[in-house]
Amino acid sequence: MEVEENNVLYNSVLDDNFKEVCPEKVIKFKPPLYKQRYQFVKDLVDRHEPKKVADMGCGDTKLLRLLKVYPCIQLLVGVDINEEKLQSNGHYLSPYLGEFVKPRDLDLTVTLYHGSVVERDSRLLGFDLITCIELIEHLDSDDLARFPEVVFGYLSPGMIVISTPNLEFNPLFPTMTLRDADHKFEWSRMEFQTVYTTTYPSLQQERVLKFVLVGELLVQVEHLRLRQQRMLREEEGARGPQPQAPPLLLGAVFTEAEQARIESSPKPFCEGDKFCIPLRRLLAYPKLHRLRLDEDRMRRLIADSVCLSRDGSAVVVDLHSSWDRWPEEN
Amino acid sequence: MSGRARVRARGITRSLGAVDVGRAPASPSATSVEPGDQEASSSSGLVEANIIPQWDKDSVCSGDSGQSHMERSMRMRRDLMDLEISTREKLAHVKDCKTGSSGIPVKLVTNLFNLDFPQDWQLYQYCVTFSPDLASRRLRTALLYNHSELSNRTKAFDGATLFLLQKLDKKVTELSSETQRGETVKITVTLIKELVSSSPVCIQFINIIFRKILKKLSMYQIGRNFYKPSEPVEIPQHKLSLWPGFAISVSPFESRLLFSADVSYKVLRNETVLEFMTDLCFKTGTSCFTQMCEKQLVGLVVLTRYNNRTYRIDDIDWTVKPTFSFQKRDGAEITYVDYYKQQYDITLSDLNQPMLVSLLKRKRNDNSEPQVVHLIPELCFLTGLSGQATSDFQLMKAVAEETRLSPLDRQQRLARLADDIQRNQVARFELENWGLHFGSQMSLTGRIVPPEKILMQDHVCQPASAADWAKDIRTCKVLSAQSLDKWLIFCANRAEYVIESFLSCLRRVGSSMGFNVGYPQIIKVQENPGAFIRAIQQQVNPEVQLVMCILPSNQKNYYDSIKKYLSSDCAVPSQCVLTRTLSKQGMMMSVATKIAMQMNCKLGGELWAVEIPLKSLMVVGIDISKDAFNKDMAVIGFVASVNPRITRWFSRCILQRTTTGIADCLKVFMTGALNKWQKTNHDLPARIVVYRDGVGDGQLRTVMEYEVPQLLSSVTKPSANTSSRLSVVVVRKKCMPRFFTEMSRTVQNPPLGTVVDSEATRPEWYDFYLVSQTASRGTVSPTYYNVIYDDNGLKPDHMQRLTYKLCHLYYNWQGLVSIPAPCLYAHKLTFLVSQSIHKEPSLELANNLFYL
Repeated sequence: MEVEENNVLYNSVLDDNFKEVCPEKVIKFKPPLYKQRYQFVKDLVDRHEPKKVADMGCGDTKLLRLLKVYPCIQLLVGVDINEEKLQSNGHYLSPYLGEFVKPRDLDLTVTLYHGSVVERDSRLLGFDLITCIELIEHLDSDDLARFPEVVFGYLSPGMIVISTPNLEFNPLFPTMTLRDADHKFEWSRMEFQTVYTTTYPSLQQERVLKFVLVGELLVQVEHLRLRQQRMLREEEGARGPQPQAPPLLLGAVFTEAEQARIESSPKPFCEGDKFCIPLRRLLAYPKLHRLRLDEDRMRRLIADSVCLSRDGSAVVVDLHSSWDRWPEEN
Repeated sequence: MSGRARVRARGITRSLGAVDVGRAPASPSATSVEPGDQEASSSSGLVEANIIPQWDKDSVCSGDSGQSHMERSMRMRRDLMDLEISTREKLAHVKDCKTGSSGIPVKLVTNLFNLDFPQDWQLYQYCVTFSPDLASRRLRTALLYNHSELSNRTKAFDGATLFLLQKLDKKVTELSSETQRGETVKITVTLIKELVSSSPVCIQFINIIFRKILKKLSMYQIGRNFYKPSEPVEIPQHKLSLWPGFAISVSPFESRLLFSADVSYKVLRNETVLEFMTDLCFKTGTSCFTQMCEKQLVGLVVLTRYNNRTYRIDDIDWTVKPTFSFQKRDGAEITYVDYYKQQYDITLSDLNQPMLVSLLKRKRNDNSEPQVVHLIPELCFLTGLSGQATSDFQLMKAVAEETRLSPLDRQQRLARLADDIQRNQVARFELENWGLHFGSQMSLTGRIVPPEKILMQDHVCQPASAADWAKDIRTCKVLSAQSLDKWLIFCANRAEYVIESFLSCLRRVGSSMGFNVGYPQIIKVQENPGAFIRAIQQQVNPEVQLVMCILPSNQKNYYDSIKKYLSSDCAVPSQCVLTRTLSKQGMMMSVATKIAMQMNCKLGGELWAVEIPLKSLMVVGIDISKDAFNKDMAVIGFVASVNPRITRWFSRCILQRTTTGIADCLKVFMTGALNKWQKTNHDLPARIVVYRDGVGDGQLRTVMEYEVPQLLSSVTKPSANTSSRLSVVVVRKKCMPRFFTEMSRTVQNPPLGTVVDSEATRPEWYDFYLVSQTASRGTVSPTYYNVIYDDNGLKPDHMQRLTYKLCHLYYNWQGLVSIPAPCLYAHKLTFLVSQSIHKEPSLELANNLFYL
């Protein structure tokens, strides 16, 4: 178990980072303290790639919002006693529009529970990382006593991050420790209640996979088709005197391994005015390669969306379409 | 060329051109497809660019602390702004009653829902000030809510404005609280207004409540509409994903507030800007790539994956690469590559891509420099349908199949939404809290106005269906036709084989309709636009009556260059046809009939008429659209009838530099039209009815204050002692209400000629709905007419019937059309000019319908 007390960590940061604004005696941190704490958690996630992460006392769900971008996380849970906050901030965790268009690789479910962190709830068992950022100072002494037992004894996650304002440092602040108006409210204990839950579209879902696959495939096919066309036109043009166009600057750059993979796959070919691109060729391109599909599965998924050659080994498109040449011919 | 082929040939449908220019250009909303409108004659009704300013992105309770609700109320919804202009009170003849009487009553179901209020329902708006001032909205809220005066009341507070359902005892309430730090804060709550349910602030407030409720029903808000990502319709072969959803609003109707809902679809595209750019690069070659790229991309709205924002592309910066660094808000320097890696765990694959530049809208009305953001093309998705997509027949068919709902499907979805709102506990609780009750779907009584007879040269025909009388008039002679003796056909070498059979067909149908078609001179040319234009330039002289071009493909530049030359440089009517259209043998007769009719109109002929009881009436249609190339240019089309029978037209078009979508040149138009009328009829028209299309939300006041006076000043000439009486009608094809008839437990589209002039109308306007189009599939949408100025004093019944009659007179379609013919002509004209010609057509053509 890895328990880090990050106050220590920040003490060292504070020494050279804080500025004192004399008249009000307010100390500002740069970057702000909360950002430093979040960054600490983010770095941890980056390093250890946990699958299941829970944030106790998630409040306005800010940390969860930062964590949901990590591809490794598949279950993200927030727990807070303030239901209203969860209610009003839950929708920030819903998938973005773009995440429907370019979905994650792995499933992700985000759930917010209304409940007390000192209750034992089996739904929080087996987590890889539990964070309690600025939480324990909100607990009264009874709860504080129960807290270690619940968190370390019962939940016992793979990792836990606990942070709390530094007491030695506190007297420098013009205000008392409890700066949040919420702190004085009392909450009755109860079982966890799901306030909000959402699942993200991911490539693990067949429907989503199909959508992405066909989309990427069509983009790649169009790209290859246009390249082929240009090559043919340049061959034609090469007979007459024509200035050589400078090489294109745009487009994905392949690594050597990717390049080798593409080179070793069957080449696209023309049959009359039809242009055929073998599925295996398409699968060699990085954006399709990363979907980790075999040829059969791919064929099954794309069959009703694109035109395949008779033996089903290649995608067939018209080499020329009426939209191709318009910009040049005016 | 059929209407659709023509649209495809031009490459771009009106989707963007039709955007109301008064609306904010950069809005966080993608194109949405409004389902279901099948229009008889214009093939462009499918796509609506849904650009609506987001005045209420946050609900009352989650706004910025600094920005009060008062400030935000200033940015009032534009359609509510229109409601403040009461035009009816000035029209004495409709002050008491604006309903017509003729026709058969019909029971109609609507997409409007009753909202029930207790009788004395009022909302109390308070201004809350804190002393000393507190920055944190949360703290303000916490302090205010802790007071016993407020704790048990239904309330909404955004940091500055407080709404209560019950009045506080005193007008000014002084409260005092203590913060955690021991500071004493004085809170002053002052009553500003008592709001009745029909006040604009109240309507906005109720709208916000409903937005909150729809969010609770796990819908996703985009712009002003709500979508269900859980039930997407995917069209992978076109990289599209459609989300079903609703456009909802609460607005005041004739007697009360109603909740209206309509089905809407959001289009998501799985294509990044980078992919678009690389493809474009292949297509254009590198020489003109940058210009082409800017032309194609600037103005588009893109969606970023990582933060869910939408941006309008204002420029492309080719000098900045992702490897360059920029200054973060805290002052640290970081490269774009590192930034996206750190912030969003995204690795960029192309380090050579340029940057898209977007100017952020300024939040408040300060004069600071607009903020500029750089966006990575690879991380931006295109939104909405591209011009290429909208002209892709297969794609649009696929989209239409999904989005075109039958009346029954639509009704079922509405019922489900209503059910969801009524059943959901949170939703019900929220409504009950505010004393609202979501009621039943509203039904009302409309009227079906009597059908019209079509008058041909020697025959009066009562069509079996007003939707299409092509069969009924097949053997009838048209009203008038010039014989066509000197005309030219230009065709590509390969297409020669179609000409013979087409010509014989054309001559046959021509003679049966009384249109004498002589033998043309046939000129064969090479298959490229340049060759066509050169041949036309050499061969066409002013004696030529008409030029026909048989085009090998629907590439836009063929059509554009030919039309441009023949409409402005050398004014000769022209007719373009696709080879493909003529090679379908089975269709030849109907194709030839359509072409013969169009040619006849282009030569100045008249096809049919309807009975117009008013003598000496001039009708005028005005439409505005934006130029496709130069978005600062507005194209204003003006079409006026020049004979009492309303069969001959005077058409003019002007390009005007404007950003507002308001016409400047109406006086010139109107004077020209009146001169023309006087020349042919030796008198001025006694009455003029102007139909104005293309008015956006929030523009009604400008039309009223700026355009109507222009028209008035030109019809009342101080020299002449007679003056024509003027009426101005604003025509809107997009309106919220939909109507269905209930028949044996299923719902259907209302019959043609259905008029609704009660309940779904607005009390402060003289307005009505008219259904003048059919939809074989999908749901018909009524056209909304708002009479904003009326000297003629026609009875509402006559106004409605006149409008209905005018919907019969569009010569490009043998049937009813969705808007009055002069409007559709004006639209057709502006479309041609804004998409193809880009300059004023020659005045010599003004007497012909050369743009059909």
